Amino acid sequence: MKHYFRALPLVAITAILLLNSCSSTPPPAAVRIRWAHDPETLDPLILPNQQAIDVINLIYCSLLQVDFSRREFSPLLAEAMPAVQHLGDSLTLLHYQLRPAAAWDGGQPVLARDVDFTLKLMFCPGLPNEGARTQYSFIREFRIDAADPRRFTLVCRGQAPEYAQASGDFPIISEAALDPQGQLRRFSLAALQNRAADTPADSTLAGLARRYLTIASGQGPTQLAGCGPYQLMTWEKDRFLRFQRKAQWWGNQVRPLPFVLQARPKQLEFVIIPDDATATLALQRGELDVYPQVPAREFARLQQSAATRKALAFYTAASYDVVTAGFNTRRPALADPATRRALSYLFDAGGLLKATQLGQGRRTVGLINPTDRANYNNSLPLIPYDVAGAAALLRRAGWQQQPSSPAGWQRRGRNDDLQQLTLRLRYRADEAAFETIALQFRAAAAQLGIPVTLHPTESSALTPTLQSGDFDLYIRTLKGNPFIFNFAPILHSQAVGKGNLTGYGTPTSDQLIEAVAAADTPARKAKLLHQLQAQLQADMPLVPLFFLPTRIAADRHLSGLHVTGLKPGYAAAAIDRVAQPQPAL
Amino acid sequence: MGKWLLIRLAQTGGGAWLLASLVFLLSHQGPTDAALLALPDNTDLNAHTAGSATERDDALHIVRHRLGLDLPLFYASRVAATTTKAAYWQWHGTSNQYHKWTAQLIHGKLGLSLRTGQPVADRLRNALTYTLPLTGLAILLTIATALVLAQRLAARPWWHRLGQSMLAGLQALPLFIVALILLLMFANPAVLNWLPAYGLSQPLKSNESFWTQAASFLSHAVLPVVSLTLTALPALTLQLEAALEQELRMGYATTARAKGLAEPRVIRQHALRNALLPMLTQFTELLPALVAGAVVVEVIFAVPGMGRLLAEAAATRDYPVLIGGILLIGTARFLSLFLADALYSWADPRIRWQQ
Repeated sequence: MKHYFRALPLVAITAILLLNSCSSTPPPAAVRIRWAHDPETLDPLILPNQQAIDVINLIYCSLLQVDFSRREFSPLLAEAMPAVQHLGDSLTLLHYQLRPAAAWDGGQPVLARDVDFTLKLMFCPGLPNEGARTQYSFIREFRIDAADPRRFTLVCRGQAPEYAQASGDFPIISEAALDPQGQLRRFSLAALQNRAADTPADSTLAGLARRYLTIASGQGPTQLAGCGPYQLMTWEKDRFLRFQRKAQWWGNQVRPLPFVLQARPKQLEFVIIPDDATATLALQRGELDVYPQVPAREFARLQQSAATRKALAFYTAASYDVVTAGFNTRRPALADPATRRALSYLFDAGGLLKATQLGQGRRTVGLINPTDRANYNNSLPLIPYDVAGAAALLRRAGWQQQPSSPAGWQRRGRNDDLQQLTLRLRYRADEAAFETIALQFRAAAAQLGIPVTLHPTESSALTPTLQSGDFDLYIRTLKGNPFIFNFAPILHSQAVGKGNLTGYGTPTSDQLIEAVAAADTPARKAKLLHQLQAQLQADMPLVPLFFLPTRIAADRHLSGLHVTGLKPGYAAAAIDRVAQPQPAL
Repeated sequence: MGKWLLIRLAQTGGGAWLLASLVFLLSHQGPTDAALLALPDNTDLNAHTAGSATERDDALHIVRHRLGLDLPLFYASRVAATTTKAAYWQWHGTSNQYHKWTAQLIHGKLGLSLRTGQPVADRLRNALTYTLPLTGLAILLTIATALVLAQRLAARPWWHRLGQSMLAGLQALPLFIVALILLLMFANPAVLNWLPAYGLSQPLKSNESFWTQAASFLSHAVLPVVSLTLTALPALTLQLEAALEQELRMGYATTARAKGLAEPRVIRQHALRNALLPMLTQFTELLPALVAGAVVVEVIFAVPGMGRLLAEAAATRDYPVLIGGILLIGTARFLSLFLADALYSWADPRIRWQQ
């Protein structure tokens, strides 16, 4: 009898747990989406990661937003894409008109004043706006139309085709919510931009900064007015964020309803699950509805299981992220294109695509996605995996294999200095795909007697280490997009030591990169991009291995995900839950 | 006794302070500039939005100033030699990062997170609300199970060797393997679909009853707590069992048996108290683990606790959070040493007499 009493609490707890796990739950009202990380902050001026961008796009509206159904920028707060006007050869005017229906939650219209206020906030001292400051410094002046408070012109420094899109891609903040007296109006945009760091503090600006930090940087549901379709209900840091669709949202009145103004789910819930295996199980158990960026092996395992095939739908799309290997062209041994071309033959890109992505994704000749048919140079050959060919090319580059000590490949440089072909390969430590690529390259190099040492490097230390030039070869993913082709920050000689990690840059390549950035017609841009891809393949500062796929697994009862290669890979606000048939009574 | 207590407490505080200062000075020596992480990446194909090199340098200067990273790190620094001047030491006075950090710590402030702008104390408090129930439950369960299991093993039952082998095998398994095995066994529709897949992280509805919420918490806590318990259990049990066996060979145990006491009673009433003496350090060492959390379990079961907070702070160079966390764990570690000393002094009269 005593034993029975002892066992009673155990039995009770087990019963509670089993009842809790077995109780049937109706389909949830919210669409639950997995995130690996927390957005960290919901401050619209900071946007430190993709999660923060996704959240801000639900709470706030930009002038323009990417339309996932058409994969191009579309007007959101703006009535149409801006009219572009070039002034001389150094200024661009962008003429915008806001939608008449656009309104804040209180019903006040969204006006040009709000756009002006947002731009000025980006340069207001005392705010964490340094990122926005660098991105939007090309906008030098804001002109409001005296006759129409919804019409304005942005005066931009220089001329670049991407200005039309970049000028509208920031969340608009309400002036009335932060600066009801309009005190910031007495400062011009240029005055704030040109304000020296050591200028004595201005009481108006300091007061505004304090107000902003109190309201916008809080961790709770933001009190800052946004005119987006959703309202943040709960944010449990590192656990979940829950959003509720606004009952009265101005976007509902727009007819015909554009894709970027759609807000279908009544509730959206972003659940933070850092571990991939746990997220997969949560999806299988019905604790999640959408699992974006599923790792290749988990995706294949889910697809192979009969049970999950019934419950889940699987989507893939070509992303704009390309896995590349980069050479340190500042090293004498890697300074000549011939050596770099020879070493590029040691990457088995096809095999690596199969091994790391299970064949999903696309091999490529350059940094342009092969799905972009107009701009991709398909006349170029893919880089072959050819160890013997690499040896022949190395000999042609002047290298000689030494049979005795020191074994390996040597050559005499221009100054008659003895060069030894040994490579230090850096990559991000926590990325299994990079490790596979590094091991494959080292094995192929070993066949030729080229010593390769692997240096897996901590994520946040990798970029500074590469910028300091402490490597021979690196492997990393370059994140791209289909809208803007400006390679200057990563390949121009003026960016060496900054964004140009390889140290590459020739007068020809610099000219081509500048011409691509300035090309004003699609045909000219395509022609120049073809030339640039050919030039890069000849000089080989980077070995483009393959474009990564976007993989999404979702509950079969969801529709309207609009899976694309653009980040985050799906349109959260367009997701619909298809009504499930009720069991017959 | 009072003087001894004061000296030990002062040593504890001083040790924690020294540890945090060391971490503060070392953490700022890494290759990554925390200010750089506040700016858009300029090494991607999207880098057209990262601004020109001059604008970026200006922005970096402003970020450093805003975060206070433009000040010298310590009171003095070594200036490297130039072609015209030999290396020398430069005195910076009180306008340095360490002095400011110390001053705000004296006022009870740990500073603001560089990433979120939130007070560090709030972030640590939030993380502890998840870590303490988890590790607290695991520690209680570990101690209780170890006490029961070690006593049973010490009585040399027929499964003694099997039990010891299983415990030794369990000890060889790393925590992440144990956690993943449990997850794949008990939260997997393909095997046993009994428990939720992710820890304490599933949002609860506010209109649910207390019992539903309690059951939900328990069902979410089972796997992480059991993972932690299973990995901590073998060391405690095997050591306690060894101590018990040693005590059972002593003369007083033989006398107790000769008086006719059954073996379980001899163990429980005579040998256990003496066997627990060498285990006091093991028990007090669980105190820092209580606040430090277990990063592996927290990542696998999506529990936003201390381990995950500190791992993420280290990865994102969020120095104030990292140093605040280390200060807390360091204090717990020194307190555990202090507690062990105090308990030994209380439990063993020989130590008291020596003091």
